[in-house]
Amino acid sequence: MLNFEDDPTLTQLLNDEQLARLNHSLSALCQAPITLTESHPGGDATPVEFNLETVGWLSGGKDQQERAAAAGLVSFLMMFIGKYRLAANLHHDTTEASYAELQRQNDALRESEARYRELSDQLQQKVDEQVGVIRQTQQELYESARLRSVGQLAAGVAHEINNPIGFISSNLRVARDYVKEMQAMLPDTEDNRELATDFNDLLNESIDGAGRIADIVADLKTFSSIDQADYTRCNINALLTSAIHLVQTEYDHGLHIMEQLNDLPEISGHPSRLSQTFFNLLDNAAQAIRSPDKPQDNGRILVKTLEQNGSVQVIIQDNGCGIADSHRPRVFDAFYTSRPVGSGTGLGLTVAQDTVRAHGGQLQLHSREGTGTRVLLTLPIN
Amino acid sequence: MPDFSPEDNKLTLKVVFYGPALSGKTTNLMQLHTLLNPERKGELMVLETRDDRTLFFDMLPIGLRGTSGLDLRLKLYTVPGQVQHDSTRKAVLSRADGVVFVADSQLNQQDNNAIAFGNLEENLEKVGLDIDTLPMAVQFNKRDLPHVVAEDELQGWWADTPWAPLIMASALKGEGVIRTFRTLLDRLYTVVDDEFHLAADHGINRRQFVERLSRSSDSEVPGAEF
Repeated sequence: MLNFEDDPTLTQLLNDEQLARLNHSLSALCQAPITLTESHPGGDATPVEFNLETVGWLSGGKDQQERAAAAGLVSFLMMFIGKYRLAANLHHDTTEASYAELQRQNDALRESEARYRELSDQLQQKVDEQVGVIRQTQQELYESARLRSVGQLAAGVAHEINNPIGFISSNLRVARDYVKEMQAMLPDTEDNRELATDFNDLLNESIDGAGRIADIVADLKTFSSIDQADYTRCNINALLTSAIHLVQTEYDHGLHIMEQLNDLPEISGHPSRLSQTFFNLLDNAAQAIRSPDKPQDNGRILVKTLEQNGSVQVIIQDNGCGIADSHRPRVFDAFYTSRPVGSGTGLGLTVAQDTVRAHGGQLQLHSREGTGTRVLLTLPIN
Repeated sequence: MPDFSPEDNKLTLKVVFYGPALSGKTTNLMQLHTLLNPERKGELMVLETRDDRTLFFDMLPIGLRGTSGLDLRLKLYTVPGQVQHDSTRKAVLSRADGVVFVADSQLNQQDNNAIAFGNLEENLEKVGLDIDTLPMAVQFNKRDLPHVVAEDELQGWWADTPWAPLIMASALKGEGVIRTFRTLLDRLYTVVDDEFHLAADHGINRRQFVERLSRSSDSEVPGAEF
């Protein structure tokens, strides 16, 4: 690398044109032509010194005396050229050093900026994550509060209905016996027989109805499980059966549901949340097979349970409308629904997935538009 | 670092006169130019000044030849003392082999001395040199002025540094200038001889190195400096 203080050579001090002009001027001054060259020209020559350095040689001239005078003149000139060269080189060096320093600072600044940007991105990511957690917690809270209030209501209603339905059932049976006794006491006429038979049928229907009310009340109690707030041993098949009854009730017993419930061990779980999950999945299936573009009578729902590899598997499968590709990535998003406004909260699958995860299990969803949907729940046996 | 070119058998050393503004660095160099009569002495180049203050630097080349034909040269530089010329100071200071620190003895200049010394230390570090190993002489100039700090006080402050004893000078009158320069040459010799075996390979021992480079011209009274 060149430094400003390096001794300059003749060609660095003078360019060819300047050298030619200098030679021309010197020759004009002297009695014989004289030439300044950087390297020794051979023969008679006088050195020209600048800063202790021989920068060139003078040859020609009339005699040595004339050459010495010319050399003195050239040295004198060189000092000023050299001064300028030194100052210019120093200026160049300092400018370059300052530029390099600026460049370094610029790089450092860039680096720190990049670091801050990364930090800011990380911060943003953390904020987003926290917002996600808050949103999820809020939604779970909302869901559980709703569930609890619905459950409390259901449990209250069920409890209140249980007593009257009990004595209505039992009274109706007694009444049926009384009708038989009264029939025996009445004259055996056509009218009386008809009346007694009709009366008997009415009572039987009422007993039937009361029995159904009792079933619904029992299902409601299982579903809400208000008395089982915490984890307890759950019979998955029993919970599924209750959920199926409830869905059937919602859809006026018009659903074709096939049950393949195999013997399962009881697992530790939260019965009301599991019931809610099953209900949500069954309700989805029911809506899928009832959608307008599917003929109603073909719709079938398969509910299957089995024990496999230390876990309980629940399969709820339908041959309904399926889920469109464009909707599928978002089906687990909270408040996302493809249904018309007012007919779904967009929480069904979200709650289902949260519940399954809370039980240490997995929810897998396979669907093809126009063919159907299959949901596989895997719950560990613990 | 010394610049040695084996093909020319030429060794160039660089000595920088450093110090606060107006402490007399250029005066030191001008006096050396006048007082010294070394074997070889070039022109004193006073590069550019404004109101008598150095803008770029001043430079005086001197030299001698060893028995081996070694062409030994010493280039003496001054730096601009004013604060705003720091990048020039740094450029001149880079690759220095020795430093003469010229301080101002006046009472009201002691802060500036300290700032300039700190700046020297900082710039040496930036150009990759170490103040603790670099040969250096410290001169307190302007002893001829009134209101200067007493010598024993100054010597006391600097007693525990590698640069003691300080050299008192009055550059304007030519006093102490050569003594400062000889002190520096003596310290410089130690380092250069270590690397280039001046005595062994080139027949230049310490005494010759100092004397031949700082020989006084006839105008000076012999022995006045030592």
